[in-house]
Amino acid sequence: MTTHTTNAPVTMLDTPPARKRPDWLRAPRAALALPAWAWLTAFFVAPVGMVLWFSFGYKPGIFGTHANDKLSLDRYAEALSPTFFTTFQNTLWVGVVGTIICLIISIPFAYWLALKAPISRRGILLAMVMVPFWTNFLIRTIGWQIILAPEGWFSDLLQVTGLTSAPLDILFTRTAVLIGVVYNYLPLMVLPLFVAFDRVGNDLREASKDLGAGRWATFTSVTLPLAKPGLIVGVLLVYIPLMGDYITATVLGGAKGNMAGQMVANQFQTAQNWALGSAMAVVLILTILTTAAIAFFIAWLATLPVRHRRRLVLGDDR
Amino acid sequence: MKQRLSVFDTSLKIWSGLVFAFLFAPIIVILVYSFNTGRLLVSFSDFGFESFAAIVTKPAIRDAVWVSIQAGVISAIIATLLGTLAGVALARRAGKWAPWFLILLVLVTVTPEIVDAVALLPWMVFLGQDVGLSLFDNGIVRLVVGHSLFSTAVVAYIVRSRLIGLDESLEEAAADLYAPPFKRFRQITLPLVMPAVLAGGLLSFTLSLDNTIVAAFVQVSGSTPWPVYVLSAVRTGLRPEIAAVSTIMLVLTLGALALVAVVLRRAGDSATDIAKTVGGG
Repeated sequence: MTTHTTNAPVTMLDTPPARKRPDWLRAPRAALALPAWAWLTAFFVAPVGMVLWFSFGYKPGIFGTHANDKLSLDRYAEALSPTFFTTFQNTLWVGVVGTIICLIISIPFAYWLALKAPISRRGILLAMVMVPFWTNFLIRTIGWQIILAPEGWFSDLLQVTGLTSAPLDILFTRTAVLIGVVYNYLPLMVLPLFVAFDRVGNDLREASKDLGAGRWATFTSVTLPLAKPGLIVGVLLVYIPLMGDYITATVLGGAKGNMAGQMVANQFQTAQNWALGSAMAVVLILTILTTAAIAFFIAWLATLPVRHRRRLVLGDDR
Repeated sequence: MKQRLSVFDTSLKIWSGLVFAFLFAPIIVILVYSFNTGRLLVSFSDFGFESFAAIVTKPAIRDAVWVSIQAGVISAIIATLLGTLAGVALARRAGKWAPWFLILLVLVTVTPEIVDAVALLPWMVFLGQDVGLSLFDNGIVRLVVGHSLFSTAVVAYIVRSRLIGLDESLEEAAADLYAPPFKRFRQITLPLVMPAVLAGGLLSFTLSLDNTIVAAFVQVSGSTPWPVYVLSAVRTGLRPEIAAVSTIMLVLTLGALALVAVVLRRAGDSATDIAKTVGGG
């Protein structure tokens, strides 16, 4: 999942170095990618291209779903009109806040798992992180619905222990939606971060401490920069599906859990306006791509002074 | 200094304990509630095994689980096959086509499921009815196609990153010893990437079993997969049988996992290595 490579004999963009073997022995290997290429073209490029095409059309009447004899950008204007725009805003809010919470929870957790937990138990602990992933995600979300219910046992427990005086009132709010999405995508953040911290290992961190760096300085200028590829993968793995998810929000957020994915689904399933639904889908993808690009640009800018000030060159960056 | 160190480590440990509690809370709740004898899942009345007995009398539930398993296995096989071949090609024979292919893989990964779903539904209808390929009217075929896209990209990444970290000298030696390409692939390359292939296959199967959004769109009535059955049950009122089925499935997956772990350990690969492979390392 990462484009980060270690001691690669053949880098991605270079042509392979000349070998003793004749060309005909090499040819079949490049052809190995052909089946995947064909499969993805037939079932990804073609259908998504069709959606792109639909998005420039219009809904011809009550019974038609789409027509493309007149092309325009009107559906995009409609998708961004105030009614739908608030939903995009809401989706973006849940997506960004949810990803940040996942990061905050995962960094110390993955750090502990990769560097502090007993070595003999790391494998089993890691498998335990993945267990929720192996229970159907709808059912786990329903588990949260039970926990957060105002008349449920958790609410009773909070009242009996005196932590709250009134029944729990967060089911069908944005807080419940956030809890649900953070829960559902947390393992996807922990896994790449674990791999990244594991790769950093103890040697460089100890060296940093021996050279007089404090705990915080070691973490910010050695551990975190070296774990960057994992951080990027984790953020993308959480942010992208989270932005498209609407089922968690429906189960836990009720009417307040309106997400962009739900709007797209509605246009195709109930309103039967494929042109508008397609435009919304394209807007959703563009929102994801641009916000991700902006986030990485901001992160790059924010770390620029730090990287400029103390440039560490430590062997190869693994 | 020593004192501060242990305070820091202890707070890390407590934090991690809390994270585990968070991860397991809803699963334990579902386990407990699957023994609920009440009419609705969310309101617990009494402890009993009625919900497990009810599964036997409701063929719709068993059918849904069976459809999911079939779709999961077939799509995992297809994704693993296509993804492994693509990953090997990307790692070892990356020519001018490779950047373009990588862009395609990235696009597949960043496209949210809902977009795949709305795109595949009209496409399947078009292929099945307008083009006349009745294959695409089959529920399992539609599910397999829908679930295999993301997984193919994921397997390709995993296999590529595994192979790119390994020296090519073994394969070169085989070539120098005049091993034909296919034999070289089967006897050298494939064993080298096997952990990545297994991890990718397992991940594909899991992703397919869990897939709700694409499945809800492309499914054909008569072959409703399990997540879609649950989704419709959420709308009409959940009964404890649903929790009972997920309890059984959880026990089965844990068993399967233990089995995989044993097999891989025997093959000399620890769980941490598997995770590293999955995580792209």
